[in-house]
Amino acid sequence: MKNETQRPFIEKVAQDTRDYVQSLLDEVQRLSRSVAELEVEIQTRDERELRLSERMAAVEAESRNFAMRYAEVEQQNSNLANLYVASYQLHGTRDRDRVIAAIQEIIINLIGSEQLVIWEANGDDELRQVGSFGVDADEWASVRADDGVIGLCLANRTRFIVHQSLVLPSGHEKKLTACIPLLLDEHLAGMIAIFELLPQKDGLAAVDHELFDLLASHAASALYCTRPAPPREGAE
Amino acid sequence: MKKKVLLVDDSNTVLLMEKMILAKGPFEIIVAHDGIEGIEKAKSEQPDVILLDVVMPRLDGLSACAVLRSDAATAHIPIVMVTTRAEEANIETAFRNGCTDYVTKPINAVELLAKLINILEANAAVAP
Repeated sequence: MKNETQRPFIEKVAQDTRDYVQSLLDEVQRLSRSVAELEVEIQTRDERELRLSERMAAVEAESRNFAMRYAEVEQQNSNLANLYVASYQLHGTRDRDRVIAAIQEIIINLIGSEQLVIWEANGDDELRQVGSFGVDADEWASVRADDGVIGLCLANRTRFIVHQSLVLPSGHEKKLTACIPLLLDEHLAGMIAIFELLPQKDGLAAVDHELFDLLASHAASALYCTRPAPPREGAE
Repeated sequence: MKKKVLLVDDSNTVLLMEKMILAKGPFEIIVAHDGIEGIEKAKSEQPDVILLDVVMPRLDGLSACAVLRSDAATAHIPIVMVTTRAEEANIETAFRNGCTDYVTKPINAVELLAKLINILEANAAVAP
């Protein structure tokens, strides 16, 4: 009799337990879905982060590239300014002394050497000094075609650049850095020798070679155009 | 607003080069050809910065620098020495005579502009 009265209660407890277990199972299922969604979200976020990192690296590389190109353009501007200044100074006067001073200033201030000699051609196989700076002028008063590296440049109308030549200067030419024949077409107008570079110069830069090219032709024409007039026939 | 820069050099090549470099920036250029003219122009023009060559006729750059520093009218003006001689002793003398900074020849355009801009910005920051 007692069992009969307890039956509904037991059934209720059993039903409540089933309901509770079911609710737990539903909750587990819901949480599993949430975990799955979160995993997808995390994966998406990781992928987005990866894409962002890649984009950032690309932007950084682009920025570095722009900075390098900016520096190159600035350097090129500076080089062009050098060439413009050199050309302007050489052709800005018809006074011989100022032409020679301009050549000296270009070598000192734009190339960076305080040891130089400028010669004018005296016939085909001799050079006669017309200007110098930072060297013993008497020592370099004239050069003949058989005198060392400079004489070789005179004989062959070729340029000498240290570290680009197999010939090694020696004796009083030991510090020779460059020897530039000044040529008007095939005609030798003169020669420039540059000895030791300034201590802050690591060596010759690309623009220095451009300046050598400019000096080779423009200094030649500037010197030629300002050469002293030959004595007139019959003049005393 | 343009900043006044006084260029003091006896070499027309250097002056032209400096003018071309500074043409890129907001600068008004004033020129002097030796130390004495440089001091006179510094007093009369009151530039924001002076680019001063070392080797010049009449009065060299190092002496001109010392004179500018000792004169109340010019003592505040930053001075950048432009030198071919970058040896330590020369640089020490330049700083002892009161220069703010120095650049060596051949002038590097990027370096010169960067130094000038730094000096002018630093001066603007401390100005009342």
